[in-house]
Amino acid sequence: MDALDGKEFGFIKNDKDWENFLKKEKLKDYSKIPVKRAKVSGWVKFAFVFLRIYIVIMLVLIILGFLNII
Amino acid sequence: MIPGQGQSSEEGFDINKKLEELPVEIRLRAIDRLKVARLRHNRSLWTRILLVIALIGPGILVMVADNDAGGVITYAQTGSIFGLGFFIPLMILMVPTAYLVQEMTVRLAAVTRRGHAEMIWKRYGPFWGAFSLGDLVIANSLTLVTEFIGITFGMSIFGVKPLIAVIIGIAFISTVMLTLRYHKWERASLIIAFFNMIFIPLVFFAHPDWSLVAKSFLTWHISGGISTLFIYVLLANIGTTIAPWMLFFQQSSEVDKGTVPEDIGAGKRDTFVGACIMATVAICILVLTGTLVFSTGHVGTTTSTTSYNIAFILSTISKKIGTIPVELFALGLIDAGIIAAIALTASTSWAVGEAFNWPKSINLPFLEGRKFYIPGIISMLIAAAIVLVPNVPLGFLNITVQVIASIFMPAALLFLLLLVNDKEVMGKHVNKKWENVSIITIMIVLVSMSSLYGLSLVFPHLL
Repeated sequence: MDALDGKEFGFIKNDKDWENFLKKEKLKDYSKIPVKRAKVSGWVKFAFVFLRIYIVIMLVLIILGFLNII
Repeated sequence: MIPGQGQSSEEGFDINKKLEELPVEIRLRAIDRLKVARLRHNRSLWTRILLVIALIGPGILVMVADNDAGGVITYAQTGSIFGLGFFIPLMILMVPTAYLVQEMTVRLAAVTRRGHAEMIWKRYGPFWGAFSLGDLVIANSLTLVTEFIGITFGMSIFGVKPLIAVIIGIAFISTVMLTLRYHKWERASLIIAFFNMIFIPLVFFAHPDWSLVAKSFLTWHISGGISTLFIYVLLANIGTTIAPWMLFFQQSSEVDKGTVPEDIGAGKRDTFVGACIMATVAICILVLTGTLVFSTGHVGTTTSTTSYNIAFILSTISKKIGTIPVELFALGLIDAGIIAAIALTASTSWAVGEAFNWPKSINLPFLEGRKFYIPGIISMLIAAAIVLVPNVPLGFLNITVQVIASIFMPAALLFLLLLVNDKEVMGKHVNKKWENVSIITIMIVLVSMSSLYGLSLVFPHLL
């Protein structure tokens, strides 16, 4: 990696500026930060039930269709 | 002078030492972002132009890659069968449709700094995570087959044998992915994407009747009226405009680019420009074939029973305006296959990395990031090998791609809508009411169309 000319980035003058830059630009390892599971309730629960039914129906129809083609 | 530029740092502070302390993928992203911050600090016209150029990328790439080899062939067949009419204004409608869907991935990436696969897996659990990942990887791999078909067919126009064409394709795509880090990968991909616009000057070779093109916006004329074939072609065109892989690709690409909430406006503009390029290229192909090939072949009830295959279309163009436009078309087809293969390969690698919490950045050198690169490269090699198998049922594979996409589409759109309305995740960047109304309307249309299309492929007499 070529070294950067610090003078070109004079808006970062000290450790505090650097920390602020990292924070503002979200430059951290997100794989180490856990993500909370979403609560599935209300209309979302209904949407998931609909999605499962849709997938099962489509899979059955498509398997039948492919059997026809083959 | 840029405020702060040229000023000395405080004693003992060395920006290079600070960069060295970061992991390699974050270090390279930090350098890219430092350059963006430097441009933001200056308010001159020139640096503003440079800032706009620096912030474009994923939006244009995803939209141009959507005009892939399969898409180019679909548009060419559509123009040949239906001429200058309904499908031209339809493509204009596809601009807001594609923009509204893809724009949400910009916001999600900027706020969460995580890819779509990771968010589904972690927010909604391993079942939906594995379902989405499995579907995406299978669909991406099979779509890659169609890209290699486009590459080999395009190169065959120049007398290149399929084996050589496939080797050139693999070598080129692997080199771009394995040797360039994100910023250069994105710039190289944008240059390749630029050549997708070869179809724009090509249309002028056909000397189309522009008054007929303009009239199509007023009349939305459907040649032959609404028929089974029309519905089939309509579904195929809508199916090529929004594909599930696009959501995953753009969100991961924005994350790797380092998009933050401050860049959301620029990301939206990038996506809008991309959508406009996508529609312009599609319209040019429709006008080209609508002018030169329309009503020269046999029309059956489905595209598979018409004589408008790509070889027939190119030979008709060649007869009417010579070989140079055909060679340019073939170059466009090769380019469309290559840019889409680059995007699909990266999309697979990002999604697998996100799902399994592996390293997931094009900023990683190959050895350090081999777990990240291998899934994408393997899917590309499998696709390339399939194209070379003699008598492989390519038509059947193409049907399978569309069918998988039709099953996957509702899930992909639903998760996108859930995530972008999740206040815990998005804070103030959640969808506004009008955005939800628009997206739900688009979802209903897209899901109905893609389901009907998927089913019509396996039940040909359904329509």
